[in-house]
Amino acid sequence: MGLLRDWNYIERAVQIPALSEVIREALIRALFVRDDRVLPKDLIADLNRVPPVTVKVKDDGEVRKLVRVLNGEESTLSLGLSAEDYHYFRTQLGVGRTREFGAVVRPRTLLTYDWIVPEQRGVQLDFGGYAGIEFADGAHRAIAQVGATWKQLYDDGAAKGHAVPFVPTVPLDFAIGDAMCGDAPFASYRGEFTSYVNALRTISPFGHRARLGFEEVANNGTAYDLLHATVPLAAEFFIPVAVALRLEAKPAARKTLTYAFDDGAKLAAALDKLSRTSQTPSWVHITEAVAAKILRPAVASGAFTAQVTVGGSASGLAAKEKAIDTAMAGFTSKNAELPNPFDVPADGYRKSAEAVARSLFVGEVRVPAKSFGDFAGKVRTFGDQTAAKAGVYGSLRHTGIVSAFPFFSAPKDRSKVYDLSKGVRAIASRIPGTTFTSRLAHLWEEEAHFMRRMAFLRSLKLTIDTAHVVQPLVSP
Amino acid sequence: MASLDYAYRRLVNTLGPERVARSEFERMVYSHDFASLPKVALLQWKLYPDFVALPQTTEEVAALVKLSDESLLQLTPRGGGTGWYGGSVPNRGGVLVDMRKMNRVVAFDPDGRTVTVEAGMTWKDLEDFVDAKGFALPIVPVNAIGSTVGGSINSGSSGFGAPRGGSLRDAIAVLQVVLPDGTLLKTASEADAGGHLANLTPLFFGAEGTLGIITEATLRIVPKPETSKAIAYAFPSLAAGARFLKEMVDVALVPYHATLASRDHFIFERALHPDSPDPADIALVAVQGSKDEVADQERTVDGLASKEAGAKLAPAVTDQLWRERYNNYSARRLSRGLVTSHNLVPVSRLPEAVETALEIRDKLKLNGAVQAFLVDSTTAALVPYVLMDDTRPSGGTALGFVKRMGDAAFKMDGHSMGLGLFLVFNLRKMHGRATSFISAVKVVFDPRKKINGGKTLEVWTKYPWPGLRAIPPPGMAVGLEIAAVLRRAKPTRDRFVRAYEHGKEE
Ligand SMILES: Cc1cc2nc3c(=O)[nH]c(=O)nc-3n(C[C@H](O)[C@H](O)[C@H](O)COP(=O)(O)OP(=O)(O)OC[C@H]3O[C@@H](n4cnc5c(N)ncnc54)[C@H](O)[C@@H]3O)c2cc1C
Repeated sequence: MGLLRDWNYIERAVQIPALSEVIREALIRALFVRDDRVLPKDLIADLNRVPPVTVKVKDDGEVRKLVRVLNGEESTLSLGLSAEDYHYFRTQLGVGRTREFGAVVRPRTLLTYDWIVPEQRGVQLDFGGYAGIEFADGAHRAIAQVGATWKQLYDDGAAKGHAVPFVPTVPLDFAIGDAMCGDAPFASYRGEFTSYVNALRTISPFGHRARLGFEEVANNGTAYDLLHATVPLAAEFFIPVAVALRLEAKPAARKTLTYAFDDGAKLAAALDKLSRTSQTPSWVHITEAVAAKILRPAVASGAFTAQVTVGGSASGLAAKEKAIDTAMAGFTSKNAELPNPFDVPADGYRKSAEAVARSLFVGEVRVPAKSFGDFAGKVRTFGDQTAAKAGVYGSLRHTGIVSAFPFFSAPKDRSKVYDLSKGVRAIASRIPGTTFTSRLAHLWEEEAHFMRRMAFLRSLKLTIDTAHVVQPLVSP
Repeated sequence: MASLDYAYRRLVNTLGPERVARSEFERMVYSHDFASLPKVALLQWKLYPDFVALPQTTEEVAALVKLSDESLLQLTPRGGGTGWYGGSVPNRGGVLVDMRKMNRVVAFDPDGRTVTVEAGMTWKDLEDFVDAKGFALPIVPVNAIGSTVGGSINSGSSGFGAPRGGSLRDAIAVLQVVLPDGTLLKTASEADAGGHLANLTPLFFGAEGTLGIITEATLRIVPKPETSKAIAYAFPSLAAGARFLKEMVDVALVPYHATLASRDHFIFERALHPDSPDPADIALVAVQGSKDEVADQERTVDGLASKEAGAKLAPAVTDQLWRERYNNYSARRLSRGLVTSHNLVPVSRLPEAVETALEIRDKLKLNGAVQAFLVDSTTAALVPYVLMDDTRPSGGTALGFVKRMGDAAFKMDGHSMGLGLFLVFNLRKMHGRATSFISAVKVVFDPRKKINGGKTLEVWTKYPWPGLRAIPPPGMAVGLEIAAVLRRAKPTRDRFVRAYEHGKEE
C-alpha cells in the first residue's frame, strides 16, 4: 500500500521470465485490474489478500510497541491483549513464519484508488481515533495528530486566531495524515502542502519516537532536507503520528469573490493574468459546471466558476478586490456573497464531501493556467465519448499552473479507473507543459532520470527501514 | 594513491593548464571561507587543497569526479566561498572544484516562468538578468553579491523575499547534479509536477556539497511587482524592533522582507562610511503589491511601528539602506576577521532571542552586532556577528560565540544553521533519533564518501591513521566551549572601534 511498494513490485515483476514477455504497461494493467487471463491465479490471490489485523491507534506508545513486536524485539505478550485477541493476533499475523510482515497506515479518505499491492500479512493502523490538535500559544503553528481531519484543523484554527493556509482542491473529508500516505490534494495559492510542514513526529522502523524537521521553525541548513523529500511518501519510510504545521495569522478581514465565466478560454486567460500580478490570494478554487452543481446544487452556475479568497486589513481588501477584478476581466458575473466550499459548518462540509466522493477520480493533472480551458474541454469530450460524464475541480498556483482533478460519474471498478486514467494521460500529453501525476502515471513513467530517482528513493527506504517493518517491499 | 604529479597531469589534460592551479598562493586563497580560522586549525586539517580546478562545463565536472577514482583525492565543491562553517574548505587537501566559471544563463522561459543557470552564477548577476527581462526572483540570498546559486542551495539559505516568496527550496524547479559516480541526475521532473514524480531536490537543499556537484539549476521566477516600497524605522531598543517584526506576522501582514539590525551594526558602518545612517536599532521593511495596496500596507506598518515607539526614517536614508542591503559585513574591515552565527528561532520568541544574543556577546566581552529577519510565519533568522582579531592568540576564542549562540537557539526551540566542518556536533542536537535517517542519505548517494567527505555528518582530520582519522563531534563542541570560557576569563575586551566605545557611552 504505497507508491514505492507498487513501483518496486512492478520492477520485480518485469524481471520474472514468465512475465517479462508482457509489455510493462500491459503488466501494470493486469496487476491493477487483477486480470486472471494474464496473471497466475496464486499471484492474484496474493494481491487480493488484505491485512488480517487492524489496530485502532489511541496512543503512539502502542505503535512503538507494535513495531517492536513486528521487529521481533518484543514478544506479542507485551501488547497486553486478552487471551482471545492474543491468540487471534498471533495466528493471523503468522508470528514465527518466514515471510515479512509490516505495519501499514490506512488513510481516512482516499481520493483516487487503492494501491496495487496491499499489506498482505501485517497490521493495518487505523489512526481515526488519534486526532488531537494542539495550537501554540502566541505562535502560528499547530501540531495535528495524523487522524485529525483537515476540517477540524481549519475550524479550530480559525476559532483560535489562525488561518490554515492550505485547502483541499477536491473538498473531501480528509485527515491531515492522508497527505502522507494517500493522495489528499492540500495546497494554497502560494504553495503546496509540504511548504507548510515544519516537522513530522514519527515512529521509526525500530520503534523509537523520531522527529523529522523542527516543530517551531523551518529546517533550513540542517543537512539533507529529508522531511520535504519524503512528506508525500512519508508513511513508507516511517510511521508518521503527528504533523507540525506552519499556519498564518487570521487576517482582520476576508472575502471570497466568485467569478462566473461562460467560456473556458476566457477563464484560462484570466487565471493566467491573475498569476502574473503581485496579488497573493489565500487560494483560487475552480469548478466547471458539473463540479459546481455537485458543490452548490441549489445555485445556478455558468460554464466555469472561479472563487478567489483574499484576506487583509479591512481597508486593504478594497484595493485587492479592485486589482483582482481587473485581472479576472472576461467574467460574466461576480458575486461577493456566495459561500466557498471550505468556510461552511462542519456538517454541511461533510455532506457535500459525501456527494463529491461519489465521483470517480483518477488523480492530479498539472496544467498551465492558459491551457486550462482547453484541458477542461477535452476532459468533457472524453467523458461524453466514454459515457462517463466528466467534470474538473482545480486550484491555481502563483506559478501559473492549475492543479486540476478531473472526475467522472462512472462505477468505481478498477478496469474503468484504469481506462479513464489512460484517457486522461492521453489528454495531458497533447497539451504542452501538462503532466499527469497520478500514482498510475508514476508506474507508467519510464524516463531514465525518473527511474533513477525512484531507485534512489527505494534505496533510501531500504537504508532507513533496514528492519523491513514499515510497509516492507515485496516481490511477486 | 597516484602521485600528486600524476594527478596534476591528468587534471591538466582534462581542463588545460590555465584552469588548474597548484601554487602556494592560489591554494592559500582557498584554505578558508568567509569565517576567520585560527592557525591552530592547520594542526587538525589540511585546509590547503592540493589543486584548484575551475571547470567550465558539466562534462568537465563529471570528468573531475571520475578522475578522483584514479587519484583517490577528495573533491571539495566551492561556490563563492562565503559560507561560514568550512563547508567549502578542504579537510584533507585534494581537489577543490571552484564553480565560478560556470556562470552562464542556460535557458530563459518566460512562459513557464523559469530560468536555468549554471551553478556558479552569483545571485546578483542572476537578479540583474531576470530584472532586465521584466521578472523577479522570489527569493534572493542575503549575500547576493558573493554567493552562487549552487552554494546557497547547498547551504539551505534564506534571504530577501522569503516571507512572501517562500523557501529557496520551493523556488527550485529542478537541479542537474553530477553524482559521486560521475553520472548526471535531474532531481525532479522537467514539467511543473508540484513536487510529485519523485522529487529529490529537497535532499540537495542544505547538503553542503556532500551529495554531488550541482552544475545547473532551473529556478522559478515571478512577475515583477507593480509597486514596491522600502520603509525604515529607528526603535528605542532592539527588543522593540523585534516585537515590531513579530507583530507584523500577528496581523497577517506579509512583507516582501523585514529585517532588523542593532545599533552597533550602524556604529561599525559609521566608522567606515561616514555617510551611513545614524546609529540606532533599525528595522527595514519592504512591501509589494498594487499602488493602493502598498499605500495601505505602509499605513499598517506605520501603525505597528508607532506602537513600539519606532521613528520613521527619512526616505533618503531608507533608500540608502535598501540599496546597500546586500552589504552586511563591512565591519570585517575593522578587525582582522569576523565570526557569524546563523540561527533560526521562532518568530514568537524573537524579542527574547535578540536580547539573548546581546547578552552572550557582552558576557564574552566581544564587539559585535545583531541582525535578524523574517523567514516565514513561524521562523525568524537570528544572525549576530562578532569581530575577531586572528593575529592575536586570544583571537580564536571568539569562535566560542558561535557555540554559545547555537546552544541558545536550541533552547529557544530553534536551531543553528550549517554544519560544515566546525559545527557537526550540532547534528544530533538538531535531529535526535532521526540523525540516522539523515545519515542514510549520504550512504545512498555517496557510499565511498568521495565528495566533501568527513563533513556535515562527521569530522575527519587530515590524518589517515585509525584512531586519529576523525574527531568525535562532541570533542569539537568541547573545544569551542573551552574557547568561550577562555574568552570570558579574558580581563579586557577587544577595542576595534573607538567610535563604537564612544557610542556605547552615549
Ligand atoms: C554577507 C553574508 C550574508 C550571509 N547571509 C546568509 C543568510 O542570510 N542565510 C544563509 O543561509 N547564509 C548566509 N550567508 C552564508 C553564505 O553566504 C551562504 O550560505 C551562501 O549562500 C553560500 O554561497 P557560496 O556560493 O559562497 O557557497 P560556498 O561558501 O562556496 O559553499 C557553501 C557550501 O556549498 C557547497 N557548494 C558550493 N557550490 C556547490 C555546487 N555547485 N555543488 C555542490 N556543492 C556546492 C560547498 O561545498 C559548501 O559546503 C551569508 C554570508 C555572508 C558573507
